[in-house]
Amino acid sequence: MRRQFTASSLRLLDRLWPWLCAASVALSLLMLTALLSLLLVRGLGHFWPATLEEVTLRSGEVVTGEAIRETSLPQEAGAERLYFTGNRDVSGANWRWLALDDIVQRTTPEALVRLERTPWGDFIGRLVGIDAEGEQLEGQPAWEYLTAALALPASQRPSGELVLATADGQILRQPLASISHATAPNAMTWWQKTSAWGQRVWQFLSEGPRAANTSGGVWPAIFGTLLMVILMSVIVTPFGVLAAIYLNEIAHQNRLTRLVRIGVRNLAGVPSIVYGVFGLGVFVYGIGGSLDSWFFSNTLPSPTFGTGGLLWASLTLALLTLPVVIVATEEGLARIPDAQREGAVALGATRLEMLMRIVLPMAVPAMLTGVILAVARAAGEVAPLMLVGVAKLAPQMPVDGEFPYLHLERKFMHLGYHLFDTAFHGEDVQAAMPLVYATALLLVLIVLVLNLTAIFLRHYFRRQRGNEC
Amino acid sequence: MIPPRAPVSHQPLRQLKNRIATGLITAGGIGVLLAILAIGVFLVWETLPLLGLDQTFALVKLSPLAWGTLKAALAAMLFALPIALGAAMYSALFMSARLRSRIKPALEMMEAIPGVVIGFIAGLVLAPWVERHLASTLVVLVWLPLSAGLAGVLWHLLSSRLRQGLPLSWAGLWLVPWLAGMLMLALWLAPLLETMLPGGDLRQWLEQRWGLDYATRNALVVGIAMGFAVIPSIYALAEDALADVPHALMEGAQALGASRWQALWKVALPAAGPSIFSAVMIGAGRAVGETMIVLMASGNTALFSASPFEGMRSMAAAIAIELPEASPGGLTYRYLILAALVLFIFTFLVNTLAEMVRLRMRRRYQKAGRY
Repeated sequence: MRRQFTASSLRLLDRLWPWLCAASVALSLLMLTALLSLLLVRGLGHFWPATLEEVTLRSGEVVTGEAIRETSLPQEAGAERLYFTGNRDVSGANWRWLALDDIVQRTTPEALVRLERTPWGDFIGRLVGIDAEGEQLEGQPAWEYLTAALALPASQRPSGELVLATADGQILRQPLASISHATAPNAMTWWQKTSAWGQRVWQFLSEGPRAANTSGGVWPAIFGTLLMVILMSVIVTPFGVLAAIYLNEIAHQNRLTRLVRIGVRNLAGVPSIVYGVFGLGVFVYGIGGSLDSWFFSNTLPSPTFGTGGLLWASLTLALLTLPVVIVATEEGLARIPDAQREGAVALGATRLEMLMRIVLPMAVPAMLTGVILAVARAAGEVAPLMLVGVAKLAPQMPVDGEFPYLHLERKFMHLGYHLFDTAFHGEDVQAAMPLVYATALLLVLIVLVLNLTAIFLRHYFRRQRGNEC
Repeated sequence: MIPPRAPVSHQPLRQLKNRIATGLITAGGIGVLLAILAIGVFLVWETLPLLGLDQTFALVKLSPLAWGTLKAALAAMLFALPIALGAAMYSALFMSARLRSRIKPALEMMEAIPGVVIGFIAGLVLAPWVERHLASTLVVLVWLPLSAGLAGVLWHLLSSRLRQGLPLSWAGLWLVPWLAGMLMLALWLAPLLETMLPGGDLRQWLEQRWGLDYATRNALVVGIAMGFAVIPSIYALAEDALADVPHALMEGAQALGASRWQALWKVALPAAGPSIFSAVMIGAGRAVGETMIVLMASGNTALFSASPFEGMRSMAAAIAIELPEASPGGLTYRYLILAALVLFIFTFLVNTLAEMVRLRMRRRYQKAGRY
């Protein structure tokens, strides 16, 4: 009896467990696609000029804004919708929840405009007219005048004043100089929207953050990340290659070398925050503190090198990625057949000549792969940077026209930290969310492209090498 | 053709250059290796002054952090282990070679996604959603594995023509829409199930019945997010381990009448066991040291609580938050460095052990493959 039971349950297991295993692959893929598509849709969708709605409430009040999302009410039946209404100077808030039951009518009039202003954030409403240099324009000509004026560079723009009307009929006078962008999304054709989308993506990539990181772009963060990563690879490549050559070509292959090799490999698994602690204690407080007391004692107690900065961040990340480069280069060196080395030495080459002319050129692809993998790891690392020199808003770029042009002691902005800071320490997280999504998408894209390049390179060179041998 | 010989007068110069270069490379190589070693030395050196002090403060300070680290890692492993090992078994034993060559890079990509992005999604998207739909989340966690089994049962009931169209070797791919559909179904049904509870609200019920508080950012969210981050590393190593087991072993077992399940359980798993264990250890090491995900998704409250619905503060997150503000040389500074030392020693030991096991197993199978 019992035997029969186990036999039948075994048969069932035998049938079912492959499906459970297959489902775990499917589930991983599902999670990966969900994550990537969430980032793609939210990150890129934000730049699409959203339709502006004019909503009439049961009480007779009229609200204009962009519909963001809906949720069901917590305790009772029904749902409410979140609107971005802008006009913080008039109504005191950028956001408004409206219960769906209260809404009588939703329209999308073409006359609604959205203006980006420097002091108060976005304005959503109607453009009544413009007083510009003695001229009084109204309606469509006023709109054309405004777009023409905004197309000019900031210094050449005419001075003037806009007359704006909010949905509930308040009149606002706004100087033209405070406006940075103007759109009338409801009147745009599909093609105009696409080009506006392209423009806004470009602005995101090329401008600095505005309004406490809730709008504008991430250019300083991109620049900081790139500069830090470049400095890091300049440091890590020669040292990593040197160590790999020593381990593989010069050191005697004995128990000790094997242990060292295992040790190096395992340092890749040590948490990055530990490297950050090392960087803070040794580079910043140790070396940086000494440098300050020797060379910059006139500015003490405000530290120059004794605080986090670009140089220390690059050094820390170089140390963090050193194992990656060493392991990849060593793999490349080990794959070169010994016959090549023996042949070179038999023809009278010294060890240096053998290394420089035969071995290293053949190992270049492996080194390249190692460096790219290191860069990919470094670009996504945030935790150690929080200890050794990243800033939420760096007042000065680390490269400028002032001697010595590259300022290694300055703090810098980093995409990953920018993302963390805006998402968790921002004032208006709701308003910053779209930009956070876009930043996350950008970071993921950079890291994925780097990794794909490494994978592709490895496969390509491996195949080529396969043909040679 | 005989290559022209370098003039004899150049020979000593060449030899000298060779000597110097070899010396330089040796010095550089040893220097780099020592620099790496310096990490451990520095951490030990900075924590030495703590030895003579009263240890109660250390206990008060570090034990909640240690607890938080273990809780976060445990939650992550609970979520990641079944998925990673299942995926490894499937792709080593069943998956078609073509699909496998595509899936492995895809999961490598998954490993490359920065922790800060996963943490952001977990803390700001997943955590609020789970808070509002706790019942749905729990239902989904139970329902998804069941629905996979259901897919298996349905597949066996299909006609053989349909079965050929949906082969098991590609199931990793075509189960994706099935699971997505089942997910939707669960999300649609879960609120109905929740109304059957007394009070009609799971969180209230948990609080009244079991006295469980609910924090928005909790161990459940951390487990899912960090599990997602460690799945690929466990998967990659475990898959390699299973693929290394000689095929002859599995085939022999099946020829002797074992079912696939028995062949896996009695032959492949014991043979690959140590390597799989080392894969799990490496995954645990990653989970223990991961900073950004815990920092962003755990709420960072230093609590002693085993509840999956409450937050924690891990050692890595505590270092990231507190160390920049601690004055160098102070007591807090030293204790945080002690936490870093613990992390360092733990991950280093775990990884070394795992690596040694892996190398030993590999050597054994290379020998076995030869006969």
